[in-house]
Amino acid sequence: MNDYLKTAGLSVGYDGKALIRDVALSVQRGKIVTLIGPNGSGKSTILKTVISQLPAIEGAVFLDGEDLRARSRRDTAKRMAIVMTARMDPELMTCRDVVSSGRYPYTGRLGVLRKEDKKIVEESLRQVDALDFADKPFQAISDGQRQRILLARALCQQPELIVLDEPTSYLDIRYKLELLSILKRMVREKNLAVLMSLHELDLAARVSDTVVCVAGDRIDKIGAPEEIFTREYIAKLYHMEPGKYDACFDTLEFVP
Amino acid sequence: MEKTRTIRTWGSFLLLLLLLFVFLIWNVLAGSVKLPVSEILEILRGRGDGTQSRILLQIRLPRLLSALILGGALSVSGYLLQTFFHNPIAGPFVLGISSGAKLCVSIVMILLLSRGLVSSSAVLIAAAFVGAMGSMGFVLAVSQKVKRMSMLVICGVMIGYICTAATDLLVTFADDSNIVNLHNWSMGSFSGMSWENVGTMAIVCGAALVLVFFLSKPIRAYQLGEVYAQNLGVPLKAFRAALILLSSVLSACVTAFAGPISFVGIAVPHLMKTLFHSAEPLIMLPACFLGGGVFCLFCDLIARTAFAPTEVSISSVTAIFGAPIVIYMMIHRKAA
Repeated sequence: MNDYLKTAGLSVGYDGKALIRDVALSVQRGKIVTLIGPNGSGKSTILKTVISQLPAIEGAVFLDGEDLRARSRRDTAKRMAIVMTARMDPELMTCRDVVSSGRYPYTGRLGVLRKEDKKIVEESLRQVDALDFADKPFQAISDGQRQRILLARALCQQPELIVLDEPTSYLDIRYKLELLSILKRMVREKNLAVLMSLHELDLAARVSDTVVCVAGDRIDKIGAPEEIFTREYIAKLYHMEPGKYDACFDTLEFVP
Repeated sequence: MEKTRTIRTWGSFLLLLLLLFVFLIWNVLAGSVKLPVSEILEILRGRGDGTQSRILLQIRLPRLLSALILGGALSVSGYLLQTFFHNPIAGPFVLGISSGAKLCVSIVMILLLSRGLVSSSAVLIAAAFVGAMGSMGFVLAVSQKVKRMSMLVICGVMIGYICTAATDLLVTFADDSNIVNLHNWSMGSFSGMSWENVGTMAIVCGAALVLVFFLSKPIRAYQLGEVYAQNLGVPLKAFRAALILLSSVLSACVTAFAGPISFVGIAVPHLMKTLFHSAEPLIMLPACFLGGGVFCLFCDLIARTAFAPTEVSISSVTAIFGAPIVIYMMIHRKAA
C-alpha cells in the first residue's frame, strides 16, 4: 500500500541536537496513526518536524512520495493541514473568518474568496456542526467549539493529510468523543491520512489504526492498538506499576 | 451577517471620507490669515491677490497634504508593527523607531549644516531609515531574548529616551542660525513643507503603501499565528523582513519630514478596528491610512489655531488626543 506520509532516517530535536533518532513513520490515506507516550517524550517535537515548523536534524519527510523540502509552499499547503496546540488568538475574527483562512493556498494574490471558496467554507462548518456559532467571535467560544472550528479550518484547506497535536486536551469527555468521531467520519468520507498525538489512551485505542509509542529518546514500538494496549507494555512505557493502568483503563471506559 | 458587515464597512469608509473632506476644507479656511471661500475660488481660478494666493498655494495646501500623507503612513506603520508583534500597543513611537530616526536625521542635518549644505529630502529619508532600522534591530534583538511583550515595550521606550537625549544634546551644542528649524523639527511639526517635500513623500509613502497592500493576504494568515501562517504557505522569514522594512520606511519618511509624532501609530489603528469592527488587512490598510490622515489634519488644525499666532508642536496635540485612547484601550483589554 502507498504511504502518503513517510519519514526516512528522520532525527528530530532542537538547535541541531537530535532528541529522537530513526523516526520511521508511515501514514496511509484512510488511516489514523496516533503517537502516544509520557509528557515530554517528544510527540510534539516529531509532529513539529513533520509539518516543517522545526527543521529535521537528519533525514527527510516525504509527502506523497516527494521530499517536503522539494515541494513548493503552496503545493504542500494544499496537501497538509494542521491543528496544533499553539494558542490562536485572532483579533476580531469570527469563527467563519478563521475557517476561511484555510482557503489561503487556493485564493489569488489578495486572498479574496470566490463563490466556490465560500461554499467550501460553509461545507466545512457544516461538517463539524458549527453553523450555529459561525458568526460568533472566535475569542468568545468554548474550548470544545474552538477545536471543532480548528478542525473545520483544516478541512477547508482540502488536504489529504491532517496533523493534529493533542486535539482533545482541555476538552471534557463529551467534546473529546464528539471531536474524534467527526475526525473518524472525515477520514472515512474524504479518505484522509491522519497523524496525531493523544494523551488519552482509551481514546487512542479506539480511534487509531496504528499506534506509535514515543519514549523520550526513541520510538519504542509501532503496532496495531491490540498489540500496544496490553497491561504490561503500557505500564512499562509510562513507568508505572502494572496495576495502575488497568484501574485507569477501567474508569475511562465508556460507551460511545 | 455578511450583509451587515458590508454595510458597516462601506458606512465607515463614507464617514471617514466625509470627515476628511470637512477637515481639508477647515484646514484651508482656518489660520491667522482668514481666507474667505470666494477668495479661495478666485485663487484656484488663477486670479487672486499675491499674499493670499501665496498663503493658500505655498503654505496651506502643501501643509495639509503632508499632514494627510504622513498621518496615514504613520498609522499604517503602527498597524504593521502591531501585526508583527501580535500586540496592540506596538507602534513606531513606543518602540523607539521614531526616536532612532530622529537622532540619525539630526546628526546628518548638523553635519551638513556645519559645512554650509542644506540636506535634500532624499538624504534625510535615508538617514531616518538608517536610524529607524537601528532602533528596530535593537528591539528585534531584545525580542529574541525576552518573550514578554511588556519588556519589549519598556525597551522601546528606553531607546526612545536615549535617542531623544542624544538629539537634545546635539541640538544644544550645535551652533548655527538654522538650528531654530532643527529645534522645531525635532519637536514634531508639519510646518514649512514645500511642494517638493510633498512630492517626495507621496512617492516614497505611495510606493511603500502599494507594497504593503499586496501583503494583505499573508498578513491575514499571520494574524492566526506563525505556525498556521507557515502551514498555509507564508514564507515566514521573507514576510517578516518585508513587514519590518516597510513599516520602517513609512515611519522613517514621516520622521524625516515632520519629526517624531507620538501616539498616531497606536491610537488610529485601534480607533479604526473599533469603528470597522474588523482587523482584516484589506479593510484596515485603507482605513488606517484615511483615519491617520484625518486624525493628523484634525490635530494640525488645533496645533495651528488653538493658540495662534503661537504654534504648538504636533506631538503635543496628538498626545493629548491619542494617549487617552491608548489608556482606555489598555484598561478595556485587561477587563476583557
